[in-house]
Amino acid sequence: MNCEIARRLMETNDPSLAQHLRSCPSCIVGAHARYYEAPPALEQKIRASLRRETAPSVPWRPLAIAASILLAVSAIWNVVLLRSRVGQNELVAEDVFSDHLRSLNGTHLLDVPSSDQHTVKPWFAGKLDFSPPVKDVAGFPLLGGRLEYVAGHPAAALVYGRRAHIVNVFVWPSNAAAPESTQTRKGYHLRSWSDNGMAFWAISDLNGSELAQFVALLRQG
Amino acid sequence: MAVIPAPMANKLALFEQSVLPHLNAAYNLARWLTRSATDAEDLVQEAYLRAFRSFETFQGQDARAWLLAIVRNTCFTWMRKKGDQPAIEFDEQIHGPEDAPDAESILLNEAALGSLQNCLEALPLEYREAIVLRELEELSYREISDIARVPIGTVMSRLARARRRLQQCLEGALK
Repeated sequence: MNCEIARRLMETNDPSLAQHLRSCPSCIVGAHARYYEAPPALEQKIRASLRRETAPSVPWRPLAIAASILLAVSAIWNVVLLRSRVGQNELVAEDVFSDHLRSLNGTHLLDVPSSDQHTVKPWFAGKLDFSPPVKDVAGFPLLGGRLEYVAGHPAAALVYGRRAHIVNVFVWPSNAAAPESTQTRKGYHLRSWSDNGMAFWAISDLNGSELAQFVALLRQG
Repeated sequence: MAVIPAPMANKLALFEQSVLPHLNAAYNLARWLTRSATDAEDLVQEAYLRAFRSFETFQGQDARAWLLAIVRNTCFTWMRKKGDQPAIEFDEQIHGPEDAPDAESILLNEAALGSLQNCLEALPLEYREAIVLRELEELSYREISDIARVPIGTVMSRLARARRRLQQCLEGALK
């Protein structure tokens, strides 16, 4: 008796099964043990997880790490740049300050004493590899100009007067846009700015607001 | 939704076409091995992911047997980790009583079916595996030996012992 026949007999509780079942309890299992069918939701879950598996994975983790390293490096670099620029600025201010004092103490205030910008400007030609802007500033008569070295740069010094006060303006070409700054050093006011690829420093014992007015007029003119 | 690259899409389509249809077999095996519906569901899902990842190793043989081997391994690994399934003894001395049960007393009523369920679940894991693969999936000894990674002789002896235990169990339950 094969299992198939035995199964049919079992369904009718046929007593002739006895003999077969002695040798084949498997038939009982095959015919009557429960066959568990997968819950319908399981197939959807599996399909979804396979979709996730095949979706191209963006390596977020390495990307995030790279981004944060980049950010940290650029932040540090900025601080370094800022510090060096601040340091640089400090150095220039120091030089401007001592040049200004020297020009007042000694006899070397003016190489070209002239109130005519058309005399002063051409005088620099051949002495500098750039042509500094020389302008008349209302209320601050031009006194003349001279050659200077500021922080290692050959610079044009333009001298303006206001009552008994002297204003020195140092000019040199600079690609780096110098930060505009206003500072006071031992009673002298300093202002720096840049225009048209030139770095400008103005220093005077004028009060701060008059120097500011001077700078504004110079930059306008 | 991200676009699936073409080779992946092909693999997925082939996989769904050849392996997904055997979901019931996978679930039935996992359900009998773990005796828990929720565990079976989780393990089948995990087994399908494993199967998909190693689909390259599938050489076009019987997809059902290939899948069942993965389901079986997933279940066994999980149960071993859980530590709640003592490995069965392979002691040849373990024999049932030689007198066969009185089959006529086995009435296939509700009680008997309940007993059958209990007796099957009470079988040691490896015996249960062999019986389910043989009687419910109707796999050959060769296929079972491949899935369970044991020699055919071991499959046969496991089946023999499993049947004997079932007989004893059913007899005891229906007395």
